[in-house]
Parts: sequence; C-alpha cells; structure tokens
Amino acid sequence: MAISAHESVDVGRPGGTPPPGAAVSQRSAWLGQHMGTAALAAVVGYTIGHYVGSSFANGYEHVAASGQNDVANVLALTLAVVGWLLGSGALNYPMAKLVGREPAPEIEEKGVGRYFRYSLDHKVVAMQYVIAVLLFLFTGGLLAMAVRTELLSPTTHYFGPGTYIAIVSEHGTVMMMMATSVITGPIAGWLLPLMIGSRRMAFPRVEAFSLWTFIAGYMVILTALPFGGFPTGWTGYAPLQTQAAGGMDSYLVGFVVVGSGMIAAGFNIAVTIINYRAPGMTWSRLPIFVWSLLAVASLLALATPTLATGCLFGILDRTAQTSFFVDQHGGSSFLWENLFWFFGHPEVYIMALPGFGIVGEILPVFTRKPLFGYRVGAAGMLGVALLSFFVWQHHLFQSGINPDMRPLFMLTTELISIPTGFIYLTAMGTLWKSKIRFEVPMLFALALYFNFLLGGISGVYLSDVPVNVTVHGSFFVMAHFHYTIMGGLIFAFFGGLYFWLPKMTGKVMNKKLSLIHFWMMFIFFNATFFPLFIVGLLGQPRRVFEYAQRLQGLNDFSTISAYLLASSFIVFTINFAWSIFIDPKPAASNPWDSLGLEWQVPTPVPFDNFERIPLILADPYHYGEPVPTPVADLGVPAVALAGSGAGGGSGPSGLSGAVVVDGEGRASDV
Amino acid sequence: MTRSARLGIFSSLFAVAIGLVVFVSMAFLRSEPPTVDFATGHAAGQPVDMTLQTVGAVGYGAHPTWVSYLTKAPDGHWSHTTLWDLPADTRINVTLDEYDSGSPLRNPQLGRVYGTAGNVESINGKDVSLVNATVGNGVAHTFSIPTLGVNVPLYGVNGEAKSFCSQPAPCPLTAEHNVITFSFVTPKQTGQYPWQCFVPCGAGFLYGNGGPMQTIGYMDGFLKVVS
Repeated sequence: MAISAHESVDVGRPGGTPPPGAAVSQRSAWLGQHMGTAALAAVVGYTIGHYVGSSFANGYEHVAASGQNDVANVLALTLAVVGWLLGSGALNYPMAKLVGREPAPEIEEKGVGRYFRYSLDHKVVAMQYVIAVLLFLFTGGLLAMAVRTELLSPTTHYFGPGTYIAIVSEHGTVMMMMATSVITGPIAGWLLPLMIGSRRMAFPRVEAFSLWTFIAGYMVILTALPFGGFPTGWTGYAPLQTQAAGGMDSYLVGFVVVGSGMIAAGFNIAVTIINYRAPGMTWSRLPIFVWSLLAVASLLALATPTLATGCLFGILDRTAQTSFFVDQHGGSSFLWENLFWFFGHPEVYIMALPGFGIVGEILPVFTRKPLFGYRVGAAGMLGVALLSFFVWQHHLFQSGINPDMRPLFMLTTELISIPTGFIYLTAMGTLWKSKIRFEVPMLFALALYFNFLLGGISGVYLSDVPVNVTVHGSFFVMAHFHYTIMGGLIFAFFGGLYFWLPKMTGKVMNKKLSLIHFWMMFIFFNATFFPLFIVGLLGQPRRVFEYAQRLQGLNDFSTISAYLLASSFIVFTINFAWSIFIDPKPAASNPWDSLGLEWQVPTPVPFDNFERIPLILADPYHYGEPVPTPVADLGVPAVALAGSGAGGGSGPSGLSGAVVVDGEGRASDV
Repeated sequence: MTRSARLGIFSSLFAVAIGLVVFVSMAFLRSEPPTVDFATGHAAGQPVDMTLQTVGAVGYGAHPTWVSYLTKAPDGHWSHTTLWDLPADTRINVTLDEYDSGSPLRNPQLGRVYGTAGNVESINGKDVSLVNATVGNGVAHTFSIPTLGVNVPLYGVNGEAKSFCSQPAPCPLTAEHNVITFSFVTPKQTGQYPWQCFVPCGAGFLYGNGGPMQTIGYMDGFLKVVS
C-alpha cells in the first residue's frame, strides 16, 4: 500500500513489523533457531537422504558393479541442504504462508548471537557474509598451499596424482564459489541500501537466503574430498564428469546450491537498485559501485541459470542414467562445455566488475578529485556486462568447434577490452595530476590497476587464436586468470574492507599491520604468479603434478613466494582479530572524509539506516570544491521533498509532484 | 571481558583451527596404501624379484568390487598396494599372476610389449612381443610406466572358467590364472615414477575409466626409486 509521505510512517523495517517504540521482547539468540540447529538438521537430512538413496539404489547394476551410489550421495547432500535451511529458519516464512498462517513478526536483535541466526538486517547478513567469505578464502588458500607444495619437485611427490588433481579441483571450485559472492555478499550487502538511501534491501529474506545457501554450498563442496574428490578442475568437463568419483556429486549439487543463492542475490540487487533509491538519487547520481552492482546483478540473474541447469543435467546423468552429456548415447559433452562457459565467462565479470566499482569509490576519496568520466565508467561496466554474453566460445577454441566460428569469438573477446579501457580511463583520469593520499585502501586500489593490467593484457593475447593454440591448458592461462581474479577482485575486496570496516564495525584496523599486509600481499602475489607466465610459455601444463626438470627453479621460487603470500593473510587475520575483537579502538564516523552517502550516517549505523528517507542532492564525487555540495539532506522530513526539483528514485528525472513512500520504504513520484 | 581473555579465546580458537587443518591434511589427503620395500638390504648389482597379482574384485576394504593389483612383500605376505621402493639402476624381475578376464583393446597399440628386457614378456612360459586382443581371452590390464617407456599387456583368463577366482584377494594358485613374467631396469635417477593400467577396467563407470583406474592401490601406483 502506498502511503503519502505527509504521514508519519515507519518504513523499511524488514518484515514490516513491529512499529518503532513498540515493546518487543528481546529473546535470547540461543533459544530458537540458529546455526547450531541448522547444522543438526543438516546432519539429520544427510542421514535420511543417504538411507533412502541406499535403500533403493544399491541394487542398480552400475551401482553394484562400481560400488559407488551417486543416488545416495545426491539425496544425502540435497536433504542436508534442505535440513540446513529448515534448521536455520530460512523456510519459516514461506512455510507459514503456504499453510495460510501469518508469520511471527521479526524483531530487532542485539548481541553477538544475532550473527549466528537467520537475520533480515542487511548489515548483520553482510557481516555473516564477511566471515563466510573469509572461511572460503582460508580453505581455498590452504588447498593452494598444498598445490604449490606438490609442485616443489617434479619427481618427488607429496600427494598422489589423484589426490593432487582432487586438491586442484577443490581449490578452484571453492575459490570460484567464493569469488561469486566475495563483494556482492559482504560489501554490497552492507553498503547498497546505505549508498542509495534505502533502509533495506528489496527482499531481506532473499538476501538472507543467499547467505545461508552460500554457506550450505561451502559445506557441500567440502564433502567432495571425503567422497573421493573430482578430477575435472573447476570446469567439471564431461565426460570426465560422468565417470568421476563421488566427489563430483558434491561439485554438481554444490554449484546448484550456490547458484540458487547467486540468482536470488542478482534479482534482489537489481530490484533494490531500481526501486529503492531515495528521492533525488537519479541514475546520474548513482555511486559508481552501485553501477557495477547493477551490471553484476544482470549477469548473476541471467548467466547463472545455465550453470544450475547444466549441473542438474549432470546429476541426472550420474544418478538416473540419462545421457545429456554422454556422446555414445545421443548426448553431447559439448552441451556441458557450452552451458558451463555461457555462465563461466560472465562469471569472470561477476568477479571483476564489483572490484572496479570498489576502487572507483576509493580513488576520488584519496585523490580529492571528482571521479573522471563518471558516465564513461558506468557505460564501460554495462558494456562489459553485455559483451560478456558473446565471448564464451573462446574457451572452446581447442575443443573442436567449427574453425570458422573462432575469428568471430576472437573479435568479440577483443572488443571487450574497449569498455574495459573505459573503466581504466576513468581511473587514470582521476589519478592524473592528483595529490594522492597513500592510505591502505588506496594502496590496494592502485595495486588492482597494476595487477589487472598484466592480467588483462595477457587476456588479449589469449583471445587471439594462434596464441591460444600455443598456450592453451598451460600455466600461462593459470597465471592470467589469477592476475585478474586474485590480482583484481581479491585486492579490491581487501581495499574495500579496509575502506569500509570503520563504518561497518565502528572500529579501526591497526595501520602498521595493515601496511605490512598490503606490501607482503602485493610483492608476493606478483612473485608467485609472474613466474608462472614463464613456465606456462615454456610448456608446463595445468593440473598435472609432474613437469620438466628444467622448470623446477621457477616453480620453487613461485612456491616459496606462495608461502610468503599466505603469511600475508596470517598478518591480516591477526590484524582483524586484534583490531576488531581483542583490542578494539573506536573509529571516527568518517575517517577518510568521504562524501559518500554511507559515510553521512552515524556509527554504528542505526538499525533502520536513516531516521528519514534522505533527499539526495548531488552525486558523491564533488571533491576539490571549496565547499563540496552536500550529497544529501538527511534531516529534512520527506514532506519537504515535494517540489524540490530533485529526481525521484524511480522517476525519469526531476520530481514533478509529491513524493510518496510506501510501507516498504520505496519512494516514488506521483 | 578483558583483553587478555579475548586474546586467550582467539588464540585457542586459532590453535584449534590450525590443528584441524594439520590433522586433515596429514591424516586424510596424504593417506595412501603402504609401500613395499624392495630396496633395503638389496645387494648392489643383483636383480630384485617381485611378485604381483591382478584380481577382478579385491573383495574387501572400501571398494570390494574394484579390480586391483596386489603385491607380495619380500617376507611373503600379500599387500593391497601399488607402491614400491625399488633400488636405482637395477633389473626388476616381475612375476605376475593374472586372474582377471580380458577384453579387446580400444587401442591395439597397447597390445605391444616394449621397454622390457628383449621387448618381450612370457605368458605361461611362452615369449611374446605382441598380444592380439581380438582373439582368445583378450587383454585384462596393462602394466605401463609411461616415463620409462614400459608397456606390458596382461593376457586375460576365461571369465567363464569353473575355477575363476571369486574369493577375496589374494587369489589362490588353484584358481584360473596366467603366469606372466618380464623384466625391466629402474632408472639411475632417484624419484617417484608413476605406473598404471591403460585398459579401462572400472566396471560400472562410464567408459570404464573411473574408480580403480584413478585410485592408487588399485590400478595405478608409483615406483619409488631410491639410491
């Protein structure tokens, strides 16, 4: 129901009830549903699924011969995820609605316990995401250390070949799953409503669902190793997929689970940006980070379903003996490759774009200059997102595709460097003749541009068919995508974390440890991965645990650098624990003097973000002006908006009449 | 809560996490079948005699239905493993009792014997340099060491034979089997050299390539060549 802003209303509270001032009981977070009950329900679900699967599929001929019951595996994992969601309370609301009952009102919770529960507060969900993402990163990083340890010697082995490829596959999959949400979950989840002047995400339950499926996906993919691992790398190619050990079930189910969360997150982010912008937040005033999220949301919503569908086909092939990907029975392994990469290449930009959005926010703050070419940068992001749907076959140049198609996809791939260049232009223009404050977030931002330049340029070579023929499947490719994903996204993640943690936690990170973390990470990241370009050019193949003796020196250099790179994360962990939990120091409300709307609210940020829906007056990049234009009027009642001339949230341009704010916090023109 | 208490809690949690990681990586990822030692006590210049079996179903353990190799240790005990410590630059005399049924080869090249002494193997006392897998019982498995250029096709037994081995491994000499002997020389350079079977024999897996074909202790393993 739309209500006039003339009325005094409570808007934007997740769940819509109860109204402010109402007495709400502060029940203990440990009573009722939480992570513990979710884990318990997951174990019960797993047990039931495995029992049911075993009871009816153990007699199948192929199961009896192989001793591998994929039906039981898939049912166990699926019911474990359902149990996890039931136990966490994620399904309470839809189940109550299904049986015609009104769900219990959501209440604001305080204390540490809320971080272990199913919460509808986007700030709590985002902090839960931070921990989940760091857990993913920790696990994937340990697996990376195992990979590099094995590659210390070409002939003396730490792991067997099957274990090695299982570790490589697990590492790749865990990291890719993590990377899909590393920014859209924690940083965007926390900031998006604040940046656009909203009190919440459009669908708080969907946001929480994304988080809890993300964690469920993590646990599912971890089961791959005890199930025997999977030998396909993160790409899961058929027919290897169909004949692989039980760990492949974890891969397929895990990607369906994580994919569901990604799709939900994509829609949620898009709807929030389109419908929940405050009055005056016109498209041309949208922070560049929000533009990047809008581009990513479209990719999440449109590309991920193909991956989930492909995984469901794979599950059917392995359990119900269908033959979607089995050539000899009328299927095609090319079908998987196309479904996978139709998701997989946009996935690259799902990871890259939010990183560029973050550094796009950081640069103006630490150069004290307006963001150069704002519209060009935003257009670049949308251009990259659009073009990313037309390049996926460059991953299949060597797969036997019609050779006449290769120049087309070479062209589309090389075209994508143009909008990417727009984004770089924005950064370089902002940096041009500026007085840079070399604070830790800025260092991470600058490092991103250096790393991504190397990753991007090597990508242009890889898109070229003749070069691709030479280096396909080698460590050159591996070094390339680590430069773009780790050198880009992960540096942006840490830059964003250092930039916004004072606002998110109200505490300040230790600067000395932060600087040590940055320099170690930057130096040893390059020392780890740059030599791998060389060993790749010299012929070392990916995913193979043996290599030519003459490449041992470079591999050992890379491995030792990788250990030091890992120790930089230990420095971060110690810094994070020390600064946030052990010896916290309060942060200033706006320590970087940013003009961003998210910095204009008090710390800690109130439950409803804004006391009133703000009136946006300008974009947040008016640096360098003697008296910068205020980005928003936070104290003016919404009634004052009428006739102010500011653009409406969902309106095409200026406000022509009254503004109405409905019960969910959406503002619109009338 | 005091700073010391917070520090203690964090340190404890961190130690538990590291402990778990070490436990998982050491106990799980590095778990492998035992290594049979043919190198200790070996007299320089003397050959090493090694006895192996291939069985259609190992009959016990985590994967009782899988085909597998087995190794007879120098003390005479059979061990379910495919890992061997072997002395460098030494002739290895292999006696292999093959108990599994065979089939035609997808790649007839794998029927050639090479890399062994004289590029031959002896099947039930008869030297051959090529096993034609399209006739007779076909080829059950191969013993191949790619990096040393060794390939030995193992002629299969009749799967319908009355005395076909159907008991848990090791199979007795009274069961239907072929006695295959061959010799090869280990390299001078120490290190770990993978060996494997190249006949897709993973029953129940698509194209036969899953399960035992990719698992150490079953159809692949290592020559751990030591000085």
